[in-house]
Amino acid sequence: MTTQPDSAATPKRFTIPIGPQHPALKEPGFFEFTVEGETVIGATLRLGYAHRGIEKAVVSRTWVQNLYLLERVCGICSHIHSLAYCLGVEKLAGVTPPPRAQAIRVLIAELERMHSHLLWLGVAAHDAGFETLFMYSWRDRETILDLFEQISGNRVNHSINTLGGVKFDLTAEQIVSVLKAVELMEERARYYLDLVRNDPMLGQRIRGIGTMSAAEAHRMGVVGPTARASGVGRDLRVEAPYAAYTAIPVVVMLETDGDLQARFIVRIREMFESCRIIRVLLDHLPEGDLQARMPRRIPEGETIARVEAPRGELFYFIKSNGADMPERIKLRTPTLCNLGSVLALCIGRQLADIPMLLIGTDPCFSCNDRAVVIHQAGNREKWTWEQFRRYGNEALR
Amino acid sequence: MNALGTLLLFPGGLALLLVALLAEWISRKLLARLQNRVGPRWFQPLADTVKLLAKEEVIPEGVHRVLFEFLPVLSLAAVLTAALAVPLFGVVPATSYAGDLIVTVYLLSLLTLCTSLAGLITDDRYAAMGGLRVLSQLFSYEAPFLLALLGPAVAAESWQITRITAHAGSNVWMLFTQPVGFVVAVIGLMGKLELSPFDAPEAHTEIVAGSLTEYSGRGLALFRLSRNVALVVGLTLVAALYLGGVSDPLAFAVKTLALLLVITTVQALFARLRIDQTIGLWWHYGVLLALGQWFLILIGKGAA
Amino acid sequence: MNAVETALQTALEHLAPLNGQVTTPEDGRRDVTINAGDLLEGARLLLDSGWGYLTAITGLDHGESEGVLEVLVHFCAGAAVLTLRIRLARVGGELASLCALIPAASVFEREISEMFGVTFSGSPDTRRLFLPDEWPEGVYPLLKESPAAAGEA
Repeated sequence: MTTQPDSAATPKRFTIPIGPQHPALKEPGFFEFTVEGETVIGATLRLGYAHRGIEKAVVSRTWVQNLYLLERVCGICSHIHSLAYCLGVEKLAGVTPPPRAQAIRVLIAELERMHSHLLWLGVAAHDAGFETLFMYSWRDRETILDLFEQISGNRVNHSINTLGGVKFDLTAEQIVSVLKAVELMEERARYYLDLVRNDPMLGQRIRGIGTMSAAEAHRMGVVGPTARASGVGRDLRVEAPYAAYTAIPVVVMLETDGDLQARFIVRIREMFESCRIIRVLLDHLPEGDLQARMPRRIPEGETIARVEAPRGELFYFIKSNGADMPERIKLRTPTLCNLGSVLALCIGRQLADIPMLLIGTDPCFSCNDRAVVIHQAGNREKWTWEQFRRYGNEALR
Repeated sequence: MNALGTLLLFPGGLALLLVALLAEWISRKLLARLQNRVGPRWFQPLADTVKLLAKEEVIPEGVHRVLFEFLPVLSLAAVLTAALAVPLFGVVPATSYAGDLIVTVYLLSLLTLCTSLAGLITDDRYAAMGGLRVLSQLFSYEAPFLLALLGPAVAAESWQITRITAHAGSNVWMLFTQPVGFVVAVIGLMGKLELSPFDAPEAHTEIVAGSLTEYSGRGLALFRLSRNVALVVGLTLVAALYLGGVSDPLAFAVKTLALLLVITTVQALFARLRIDQTIGLWWHYGVLLALGQWFLILIGKGAA
Repeated sequence: MNAVETALQTALEHLAPLNGQVTTPEDGRRDVTINAGDLLEGARLLLDSGWGYLTAITGLDHGESEGVLEVLVHFCAGAAVLTLRIRLARVGGELASLCALIPAASVFEREISEMFGVTFSGSPDTRRLFLPDEWPEGVYPLLKESPAAAGEA
């Protein structure tokens, strides 16, 4: 055995930290990649930079209060979180919301899906240095936010859902504006689809990048558009329909290439499907009440509610002990699932592929960072402003 | 007008700086409108510059202090000197001598070198990365850009800018006789100024602000000014050489403005090229096109 | 019998060697309570037969009086949800890590580990996922006795 270091045979190992503050990640997450040469041999992440302790906070709030808290888990897909929660709680209470409420829930969910996909389109374009596409898609997204404002008075946390139904009805005037917006969205989606498929410069940046095969996607348990871009047809709207999806069959958009371009195309094609669903809903909007009566105390039991959020499967586990507050609510967001999967997938790949894999999942850190209490046991004093300032200064040093 | 006035007020010096800021505003405003944004107000570039000049300049640890402060000054000096030999605003340049085209192009490259060095002397890895990318890009666009500018020079049989413009003014626009050279020159100018889609050296989603990441205050203001001046000088050069030389100042201003609009529109159209794609583009197509054009000119000259 | 029930029956057949106690909490779900040592084997039986994917891992604290901490490992195939339930001691509970089988399980395990104090043996990465670095050792926020906010206890 020789003592000479053989640098050619064993390339040096480097650890590449990314985040929590990084120009490419607008949200706080910390990734650490170990590379040997250009090949990734280890990948891990660290989250929690935007923690709010929601999973702990829900157990000391009533069922109704939690509705508003859980809606704030995510700043993009707020409706889908409250929807999953409502579905779970209604299942526990044995209450079925009236058909009109179910239709409105799906309508909002599909509008939200479109606005989330447009948001991602912009962010991905921005990362590829295509500022014009970024600006265009975010401009079009405004249309949907304006609709939310018109319907509920709020652009982001619209509070449409309530336990047992929805809070806002659709007036004839609002239906007209929704239809108008849907028409615009279809036109824009056609334009974006053409752009993403045929623009040669953008194509150079997204074609064949960050490829994930169907087998890999299946094995890793990837969900949402990321899975569908790899040909894995996981979509809970079809597999386990909820609310008005039971009456409206959804066509799952599948692409088989599994690269970043396929993730663009799947999301844009889903916008067409969302438009179609909204049209069908508005054509057959059931008449009737908006809410069913809910008991104040939810019967004892535990349930699982799964819904298809814009980013993939959102999982809620709700346990009630018969009191007016939940015993435990566990939520697993699609991003956590996809990040874990993608990081596992990174091993053995080229470093240059990684950012596109991560971006392709549409990571939402707000969704992930939710489950921590701020105050430590035994250290529960209240800080004055001066103490807080000093703490900040010391932390900086 | 005495020599000092020529250097400090018009057409060099103050007037050039103001026009450079105006050019930045036109470019930013048009880009914003093309992207459906509102865009800055007319005095925004000036306000930015004044603000930056008034701000504290942070000198990061681990850099060569003198070099760090000297580089922006050098780059501004280089582009201002480059401006002396070009027919700014269509007036007669302050100085003219045999071979000043080569000197001007060299001085414009000095800005790029300074920018690159500014990134490489800091400990910041984003800046270092940006510095390397600036250098790679310099090596890729410089040759075709130079070849594209030499096309008119060969046609006019002179390396002197005033002679070439005089030749350009008395003949058919070289935009029509040497279209390939014109396209390469315009794109080369965009590469030189790191404008989108050739903005990999300062891709802010990848490497923050590239080689200028560590710069703040005065240094940043001077670098920004240098780049704007380089934009005006480059536009003037390309307009004078390819768009029918220098006739009357008003027509020349219109031509330069039109060129600026073209460059800005191109910026809005494309996604950023990766640095390897930029280099590939230049060496696969840019150089070959410019060389092909050159041969055609030489053959044409030989035949005449 | 509909498709969901068929899927669940298949899963239960795969899991038969574990002799778990099967309950039906609601439609489309089966809970199989197994021994702590059988978790890895259970996951292997399911995945080897190609049944579903690991969806989430839930920690469920039953409080100091009962002294039980449950770990729920949810597998989903379409609308069918199969949950492996494991009852652990509240303090010092230990489970075999699923990472060798399902690399993506790492993030779920790290979350359970820092929030409830369950150790996953054989896990390649045991660092915290969400909690800050200066969080005190041995304080697990999602256990019932941990206060939710200042001023509570």
